Amino acid sequence: MKKSEQGKTLIAAKAAGLVAWAAVMVFAGVAFRQHRAWKEPVVLGPGVTAVRSLHEWFAPLKGTENDCNVYVLDSGLPGSTILVLGGTHPEEPATNLAAELLVENAKPTSGKLLVAIHTNRSASTVTRPGEAYPQFYSIKTAWGQKKYRMGDRSANPLDSWPDPETYVHYPSGQMLAYMDIRNINRTWPGRPNGLLCERTSYGFMQMIRKEKVDLVIDYHEAELEYPVIGTIVAHQKAQEVAAMVSMDLSASQFRIGMEVSPRTLHGLTHREIGDFSDATALLFESPEPFLDRVRGATNEALLLTGVDEFVQRAGKAGLLYWPIDEKGWPIEVRVGRHIATTSKVFEVWNLLYPEKPIAVDGLPGYGDLAAKGVGAYFADPASVAKDRVAFE
Amino acid sequence: MNQAVMLLYYATTAFFAAMMAWNFARAKDAQKALLYLVVLMPFVMRLLRLK
Amino acid sequence: MLNHALLVLGVMVVVFAVASRLKVSVELSMLLAAIAGGLAHGSGFSARHVVDGAFTYFDVTLIFLSATFFMNIVKESGGVDYIVGGIVKRFHANRFLCLLFLTFILLIPGALTGSGSVTVLVVGALAAKVLSEMGIPKEKVTAIIFLCAAMSAAAPPVNLWAMMAAAGSNMPYVGFIGPLGALSVLGALFSMFWLGWKGSPIDAAKVAASIKVDARMRGWRVGLPFAVLIALIALSRIFPHDFPILGLPLCFMLAAATAAAVSATKVPLLRIARDTVDSLLPLVGMMIVVGILVQAMSLSGVRGLISLSVVTLPLAVIIGALFVILPLSEGLVQYASAPLLGVPLILLFNMKGIDPVVALSAMAVMWPLGDILPPTLVVGRAAVMVTGYDGSYYKGFVKATLVPALFILALSTLVVIFSGQLTFLKALG
Repeated sequence: MKKSEQGKTLIAAKAAGLVAWAAVMVFAGVAFRQHRAWKEPVVLGPGVTAVRSLHEWFAPLKGTENDCNVYVLDSGLPGSTILVLGGTHPEEPATNLAAELLVENAKPTSGKLLVAIHTNRSASTVTRPGEAYPQFYSIKTAWGQKKYRMGDRSANPLDSWPDPETYVHYPSGQMLAYMDIRNINRTWPGRPNGLLCERTSYGFMQMIRKEKVDLVIDYHEAELEYPVIGTIVAHQKAQEVAAMVSMDLSASQFRIGMEVSPRTLHGLTHREIGDFSDATALLFESPEPFLDRVRGATNEALLLTGVDEFVQRAGKAGLLYWPIDEKGWPIEVRVGRHIATTSKVFEVWNLLYPEKPIAVDGLPGYGDLAAKGVGAYFADPASVAKDRVAFE
Repeated sequence: MNQAVMLLYYATTAFFAAMMAWNFARAKDAQKALLYLVVLMPFVMRLLRLK
Repeated sequence: MLNHALLVLGVMVVVFAVASRLKVSVELSMLLAAIAGGLAHGSGFSARHVVDGAFTYFDVTLIFLSATFFMNIVKESGGVDYIVGGIVKRFHANRFLCLLFLTFILLIPGALTGSGSVTVLVVGALAAKVLSEMGIPKEKVTAIIFLCAAMSAAAPPVNLWAMMAAAGSNMPYVGFIGPLGALSVLGALFSMFWLGWKGSPIDAAKVAASIKVDARMRGWRVGLPFAVLIALIALSRIFPHDFPILGLPLCFMLAAATAAAVSATKVPLLRIARDTVDSLLPLVGMMIVVGILVQAMSLSGVRGLISLSVVTLPLAVIIGALFVILPLSEGLVQYASAPLLGVPLILLFNMKGIDPVVALSAMAVMWPLGDILPPTLVVGRAAVMVTGYDGSYYKGFVKATLVPALFILALSTLVVIFSGQLTFLKALG
């Protein structure tokens, strides 16, 4: 080939490459933008008395991606104040769905509930590279599909960049993986001048102190290859509550374990909230086969049904910490476990602390939820007054 | 301070992206040029604050 | 599901093989394999997945680029010549010390950047020159450069295989400095002394004449940029809550700025930056493409298939075969082998009571030895290039690396087996 021809071929190859590149960038860019900008409607249930923002307890969070909604469900009668955290890890959808179900359905008759649906909202605006998560998932309801953002475990780098060389937890000094500075369940109790997640946990701690929260419940899901699964992790102050809930539920509804928060593992809700405030803390884990590394194809169906042949095979080979069969772990069962455990915690709490009761009506039972599906408990945003709809 | 550091990261990303774009334009080998385009994807996406 | 994943894997393998055969570069062949696999999977694969995957190791590529930019400025300002010249001048009469210092010089670039290629490109030629002057045959010099470069990639603080596998298994990258440091330093020293001890005395005057050290160059001009780098990293560890969070890339960029500022000669920054990007293109390209491949594999279930196949093997077979599997997989898919094989193995080891940090460190020392193997031959090829070795690649060069390589692999396998007794190594952080 002559030199001039070679030059022409090169220019043509570069031009063709640029066109293909631009097309990929435009399609991907639009997809990323749509995901980050998607707003999830939440119908304010009969118990919601106010929708506040986290910055009301810590002003510097105003305008940040993590200035999340805090739903107040106040009975107006004395009792305990309980904070429920959904979406600590937005790649665990049963957590924000369970929190949203509380907001749409719970009606306290004594005491007060505070609910955050997306505790680390920034993490709900990005999916984890290399994991091929779907960007959205939809829950079937009587009035149509309700669409949600699928998120990551860590905050979006667009909101918190860079990560440190090694993340040193405040105030324990424990060294953690660099990206864990964007994982809000490693940044408690937080610090006011830290990175986004450290400031967010600090904001929540301010709220916990100022609102005199008695108990914090943090919803989670875990892969079946992970040893902490199907369990309640309790700060030692809540040990008795957790033990009674675990025994009662395991005998009557479903198997759930109980373990005490390790004293040397820092940054987690069940350790730091109990240590740095008057509140105590519980963390619930439900099984999510979607997170397993041995999983098969990664898609919305697996996310919602929890049915996976490869994970089952790993189970048969004795490599899992939690059972799985061909029925998988459907989302309604996982949300049902969280809601039923929450209801049982309220029941046990009232037995142990009758002077500070919490009573909540309107929550579905485990069996009902598993049979009807999560969507049965979400109202149509179009059917209510505009001021009864909030957006996540 | 965190904001300033973040800005420096955008500047660093822009700096290396510019060098890649320069090398892409000057590349004499088509495969090399194409690989530059692939590598540029995350750099440009981050600079546009889309990912 | 099994058949589907096998089909997609088959498509990926065939496309990779055909593209490589058609002289498409390894990186682009892998990209084509990823895209073909994604398309074979069908529903759900889109441009979004390609770009999402490209972000998997984005932070690591920034470390790569900034660290190499820093090292290249030090080299351009005459710092590397100054250090090597100094070693020869001071220690030429003492072969032991000379080899010892050369080993550490070879370990630094890769330890900071996580890349054996950076070691070869930055200090390989100079070290090779000194080693040749010490009467060591060319194939052995090339073998030393490769083995020390591989060990430098394995050396802490930055070991990309360990970082990638730890990140994939939600394990903090903490506790690796001790085990990685012990294994990589031992491996590098054994390689250097096994291959380089026998030879002729060094002719200091001749070597000094061939290394042009700028008369204005002083120790502080070389030392200050490294001091800045070490100080920034150390301060962020010592005062983590009072010192701003800079991250490794910015630490390297600040050290690079210092190196340019104190250089005796004017450093052409733009040209160095362009050359840095150019020399790193195969490596950075590989990281980005591996991310896209991992995304396609996760999407289609191929990653699950590979993970499942590995973890369901008997434990003794897995441990006994690591010394073959890891280098081979490195030769085949480079860093992609860390998330593909490393993650499931670490989860399995953890379950079976093997210390995951120590075991992963040992594995992360075995992986880089595969950089001499086909089809990629990345660091091996670079070593041959900088030493000017023109003999047989396998019968001369690869053969010369065999004894030290087997020593490193055997030592690392023992560390995996006895990981429980070696947990004290994790205390260094």
